[in-house]
Amino acid sequence: MQIALQPDQYPAPPAYPENLSMWHQMSDALHQSVLRVASLLISILPGLLAFILALGILTAIGVLLSYLLRRGLTAAKFDDRMARKQSTGISDWSPDHSPTALAGRFTFWGCVVLGLIIGISAFDASYANNSELTMSLLPFLTRTVGAVLLLFAGNLIARFLARTVLIGAVNTQLQYARFLSMGVKWLVLVLTAAMVLDHLQIGGTIVELAFGILFGGIVLTLSLAVGLGSRELVTRSLERTAERPERRPFAVNQSPTEPSESALRHF
Amino acid sequence: MATTSTTVDPHHSAQHPHKTQAALLVSLPSLTQDAARDLLTHLAEAFAAKSVMVATPDADVALLETPSLRVVAYTPAVPSPGSWSLTATDFLTVHELAQQHQASSMLLLGPEAQSLTAQALHGLAEAVQGTAGSNGCDLATARYSLQARSGLVNSAILYPLSRALFGAAARFPLAIDLGLSTRLAARLAAAAQRFTAANQHEALLWPVSEAAVAGFTITQVEAGVRLLPQPTVHDLNGILAHVTGSFFSDIDAKAAFWQRSRVAQPARLADPLAVSGMHTRDEVQPMLEAFRNAYGNLSEIWSLVLPPQSLLGLKRLSVLSAETFIMPDSLWARIVYDFLLAYRLRTINRGHLLGALTPLYLAWVASHILQTSSGRDPEQHIEALAAAFETDKPYLVSRWRWPDRFNP
Repeated sequence: MQIALQPDQYPAPPAYPENLSMWHQMSDALHQSVLRVASLLISILPGLLAFILALGILTAIGVLLSYLLRRGLTAAKFDDRMARKQSTGISDWSPDHSPTALAGRFTFWGCVVLGLIIGISAFDASYANNSELTMSLLPFLTRTVGAVLLLFAGNLIARFLARTVLIGAVNTQLQYARFLSMGVKWLVLVLTAAMVLDHLQIGGTIVELAFGILFGGIVLTLSLAVGLGSRELVTRSLERTAERPERRPFAVNQSPTEPSESALRHF
Repeated sequence: MATTSTTVDPHHSAQHPHKTQAALLVSLPSLTQDAARDLLTHLAEAFAAKSVMVATPDADVALLETPSLRVVAYTPAVPSPGSWSLTATDFLTVHELAQQHQASSMLLLGPEAQSLTAQALHGLAEAVQGTAGSNGCDLATARYSLQARSGLVNSAILYPLSRALFGAAARFPLAIDLGLSTRLAARLAAAAQRFTAANQHEALLWPVSEAAVAGFTITQVEAGVRLLPQPTVHDLNGILAHVTGSFFSDIDAKAAFWQRSRVAQPARLADPLAVSGMHTRDEVQPMLEAFRNAYGNLSEIWSLVLPPQSLLGLKRLSVLSAETFIMPDSLWARIVYDFLLAYRLRTINRGHLLGALTPLYLAWVASHILQTSSGRDPEQHIEALAAAFETDKPYLVSRWRWPDRFNP
């Protein structure tokens, strides 16, 4: 059976008008896209401007307040008063031995952080109706700030703990002090990295899994290294403890005319 | 002056309760009955014909029969922490007692004071009370006769620093038996109150630097052999950090005073006790190993604190054998000064800084023991060390004022 061709059923348009129409459609599409992007950018600008303004104004206020505070505290001889009350321990937190400088810096950075918060709030408020942008950009921005803070704090803690462990291990005459210190440092850094990625919601369960494997691996490595390396040390230490006679902190009954010659006394 | 008050217990004020004034007040530490009896005997012998009041925190001690002494028991406002040295609480208490009894001078005795002889007690009291032809001084510190292996922190750090910076040649700046005048006691009580107000009752005070800053007179009295109580904490790192941290902090607070040039009072060499060298090698070897281990691990931290010249000196030391191991006095003086500067500038965390000093201190101890066991007089070595600190003082003053100046 033959099927008759029906040329009128799908009439082919002429070649030139078809190309022209396609070009028009593409052009329209591109134009609309550019318009959308431009309108999006234009709609961002007020929020961005509000953010910059809030940050700038609060920073300027911070500079002014910090300046006034420093002048006031210097006039009131605040540093001298604090030096007389040094036992309070506040001076440990002051840079360059100047509580005035500390107060000034605290005020300035407090204002900057306040400006950031107000700016982000203004940014958020100006996009309350734009659900797509609010849903994607703003939370990510706030999470990034948190992640940077986490990274900074994690690095500080890692360095501090590494030094503490290193000095403590050296003073207890452990031969693997540096190894132990490095292990602690990387433990904290890995923990920090995992927290940062989790905070940014990047990687999902992969990060958790990788962190678990890495953390467990480092702990296992350290345990094996320390355990196997110091097996004899622990044995000797336990033997000494068992054999050692009870020691008295003060030589109460020792005659003053016959002090022990062999004893090493640091005080 | 003080917000807290010490109360005298009338039921335990023995023998002469009608007398309220005393020329000399002797403040005892908490002692056992036997130790207190010995000490009271020595005190009675030392002050046979004088008006002396003895204050004790132990009620049972006040009941002991002491014919020529007035013994009163008191209840301290803040219980003494029972430290191995004199603490802020002790200075506060003795000042309050002196005020209550209108004493013109005080004798503050530390733990194990029963081992002090009557001559030493008499000498300390006479130094602050004065004699017929001379006025008394404000501070009398005891100078003990110790073994070459005793009082090493004092010999390595406290005495040389105190002498170089404050011009006070008191051999034991952390002496635990002191004679005090009323005005110095008041000044020390004011300093102590800053600590006790912050609940730091075990804080150390530095009477020598306090007296030097105030322009008070200081003298030292030969106290002979005495039992020096040792810290109950066996962790050298912790106790060294506590003592040096306190002293560094005091030096920092008094920087305006010691930056002016000072001339130290001439020091007298005491007769050291006999030194036994039979255990030297066994004693020194662990210290040298600790130093070498630290050199391999802590160089990075030391390089933040010490200049290249000192690091080079430590590198040379790290390869020396025990037979030739001698730390030059100039190197140790420079190390202590650089740690003091780093403490002031907070180059690294202060706990870390003082922890990193421990192996270097052990290296100095090893060097000192090796030198004394090879025949060098320990007191001469310590005097030479103190002289090295004095010679290098311009370096400290310069870097204290201009920390960022080029430092080879």
